[in-house]
Amino acid sequence: MSSLADLPTFVLESREFRVLEGLHIAPRRTFTGRVRGERLTKRKGISIEFADYRDYTDGDDLRHLDWNVFARLETPVIKTYQDEEDLAVHVLVDCSASMDFGQVHKLRAAVRMGSALAYLGLCGQDAVYPRALGISESPMPALRGRSAFPRFAKWAQSLEPAGQAPLSKTLKDFAGTSARPGVAIVISDALDPEVFSAIRVLGGRGHEVWMIQVLSDEELDPDIEGDLRLLDAEAGSPVEITANSYALEAYKKNLKAHCDQLEQEALRVGGRYALFNSAGSLEDFVKMTLKRHGWVAS
Amino acid sequence: MSFVSAGALLWMIPLAGIIVALYLLKMRRKDLKVPATFLWPSMVYEIRANALFQKLKFSWLLVLQLLALAAIVFALARPQVRTKGLGGELTVIVLDTSASMSAREGGQTRFEMGRKIAQDIVSSVKMGDRLAIIEAGPTPKIVSPLSEDPAKMQRALNDLNPTDAENDVGEALRLASSIVSQYSGARIVLISDGVFSDIRDFSPGKAQLVFQRVGKSDKNVAIAAFGAGSTSEGTQLFFSLKNYGSLPSLGTLRLFADGEIFNALKVEVPAKGTYGKSVPIPTGAKVLRAELEAEDDLKSDNFAVALSDPDAQLRVLLVSQGDIFLERALSLDPRVILDRAQSLPETETRTQTSYDIIIFDGVPAQEVAARGVICFGSAGAGSPVRRTGTASKPAYQGSEGNHPVMRSVDLRDTYIDKGEKVEPTARGTVVATSDAGPLIVVASQPKRSIYVSFKPMDSDFPLQVAFPIFIANAIDYLIPRGSSGETFVVEAGKPFSIPAVEADQKLTVTTEKGDKTEIAPAGGSYVVRSMEQIGRYTLEVGGKKTTAYAILRSDLKSNIKPQDRVLIGQNAVAAESTTLRLSDFYKPLLLLALLVLAGEWWLFMRRS
Repeated sequence: MSSLADLPTFVLESREFRVLEGLHIAPRRTFTGRVRGERLTKRKGISIEFADYRDYTDGDDLRHLDWNVFARLETPVIKTYQDEEDLAVHVLVDCSASMDFGQVHKLRAAVRMGSALAYLGLCGQDAVYPRALGISESPMPALRGRSAFPRFAKWAQSLEPAGQAPLSKTLKDFAGTSARPGVAIVISDALDPEVFSAIRVLGGRGHEVWMIQVLSDEELDPDIEGDLRLLDAEAGSPVEITANSYALEAYKKNLKAHCDQLEQEALRVGGRYALFNSAGSLEDFVKMTLKRHGWVAS
Repeated sequence: MSFVSAGALLWMIPLAGIIVALYLLKMRRKDLKVPATFLWPSMVYEIRANALFQKLKFSWLLVLQLLALAAIVFALARPQVRTKGLGGELTVIVLDTSASMSAREGGQTRFEMGRKIAQDIVSSVKMGDRLAIIEAGPTPKIVSPLSEDPAKMQRALNDLNPTDAENDVGEALRLASSIVSQYSGARIVLISDGVFSDIRDFSPGKAQLVFQRVGKSDKNVAIAAFGAGSTSEGTQLFFSLKNYGSLPSLGTLRLFADGEIFNALKVEVPAKGTYGKSVPIPTGAKVLRAELEAEDDLKSDNFAVALSDPDAQLRVLLVSQGDIFLERALSLDPRVILDRAQSLPETETRTQTSYDIIIFDGVPAQEVAARGVICFGSAGAGSPVRRTGTASKPAYQGSEGNHPVMRSVDLRDTYIDKGEKVEPTARGTVVATSDAGPLIVVASQPKRSIYVSFKPMDSDFPLQVAFPIFIANAIDYLIPRGSSGETFVVEAGKPFSIPAVEADQKLTVTTEKGDKTEIAPAGGSYVVRSMEQIGRYTLEVGGKKTTAYAILRSDLKSNIKPQDRVLIGQNAVAAESTTLRLSDFYKPLLLLALLVLAGEWWLFMRRS
């Protein structure tokens, strides 16, 4: 099993950067920001995007007085503009033990996926909050700007699949924090029977949940046979099986039902869902899924 | 249902125990770490085991294996069920073709009824069944060997015809037994009216003997006796009719002399009774024939032929402790009517006799009134020799080849173990000698007699070609063929021999209908076996013609009442009242076992 320490310094390749260039994260909803950014919010502020008219009051900046209206109506009217603030983008990478699988390592794929989305957020002047689920670490402050990407990459390369806590618990723990509502990008295998309730909790906290489920080929189409005792990588109980066509068929059926429900839960809380094969191309995923389905926009 | 090998069922217990024990073994599973186990169903099919022990769990594999085992064990036990049909998987049909089977009832003969039964058996054969067909005629023969070809068997049955002869059912059954006696479950089906002698020395072995009776009627009147004799009133023809049925019979008897009818009588024969009469015959008549017209079922015995020449038939008494070769050689002579005795009957004296020829075989010869005497290895009163001692391994030296007794008889290769050392009397003529003295001595006065210094059974003489020739020569020497020499009467189906003059000439036997049979000479004579139907036959060889009449004169065959039980071997075998057969069904069981095992294999492969 490869360690993330073996990953190259740059978790994304140059051609992948080129694909990401010019894109930014496109949430379904708008969120109130904390600092000025490049993203329009509901709040009135200073930008070039006209919002509305209102009556002049003392103290208003005369530069925004609509002189044409004043000339015709002799009534001072102030033009208001939408404010541009930053977006909170929580990149939640599942570091539980179950991510330590796959010929093409799931956590590696998750890290690359998280890095790509973080890069988009940073380039869009959003506040990117990296968070490793399942391991205890001090929360990193928000990263902003393209120049912060090396910090993100360094953090991403330090991740290890060592967590024993189930995803549902770590997600609920995250939801219980005072994290700014924003886009919560959960990058995980989501192989936890209780993950659905965690998504509901996360959505209930005001986050737009983007669920990117990372599964390996070995999970999507297992190639095992014989009489086995399956040991859960985390806290699940062992299962004895005879790996035959019946068992494999039943497993695939269960997996599909789990993924379908996962998608339903994500959509129900106003979020998004996508399945990413760890052996798949990140470049293709960005083009075929994120761009095509409006996760990101130019 | 019954089992041929019920003991095989006991195998079920240990074998099933072994299979169940294998399922008590526990699987030691290989650990495999997976991201999550909740998606995996708990589907455990323990089809392999490598550790001891566990609680027995339900398994379809176990069920299928036990089912296959049960099918195999049951198949090994050879279960049988009764099904309709006479035949079995291995069947020999013995079809009686003797004279009584020619009895006609309800428009068809018993033979036709029997053949229909045999045809039904052949038609009902299943795939894998093997059948053979044996004709129980005068000479039993296999007309269809064991085969699975019904068409061939039907052809063989269609080619069969009834005879007017006695038969040897015992020999036919022994022939059938030699084919199937070693097979359990085999069946010998005897299709007959049961009109045959008790069969003592027979065992079907492992096979089952089934007697399928045909026929019902006992209505038959036969010419029981027919012959000519000299009386004070001249030559008279005597005849006797016998009614074997349970009702009186009326009929007309027509008498022919040399083909011309000379008398016709209305006769009434009481039930189970006889009717006899003597009538004068035309002067000079040689061949006398009788034809009875009566309302009976068997016509073969309503025909009789007799020759007026007293030498046309010879009554011969063989006094012997038993010599089958001598009996057969004598029987080959068409003139001979053979009786057997172990000692000379008291009725045979110097002045009174019932026989034309008496043969002493190892029994000291005595003076008798018979017209001719042959003595083998036991000189006595009346022999043309005096006994002087015993000879061990006498070696043949030479013979008088021109003497009628020694014509075509070559003793050079004959081995003689022991014999008598004799010297001829004044009336004796030595016709063959050995290094121990006279070997064969003949005398013509006061009556013709022949002395042979050894018993046939003390030599290999009976195995030589010369033996039947010598016997035929001896009988012809003792009583030369008379005026009827070119005509003789034989029992239908009884083989007889005719001396062959030229080795490369064939004898042609022609029936009244013109059917011809050619017979090649063998061992210096023609052995005729083909006269199985009553009637007149013409025998021709080298342009010389002989007339032979085949008749049925058998008290056994004329009593045509079918028998419900026949004595075969040590048991009385009852006629089958139902046509049921015991059918093996081990083959379907084995097929089932195969299918179950195939299903078990398929399931195993799907689960493994």
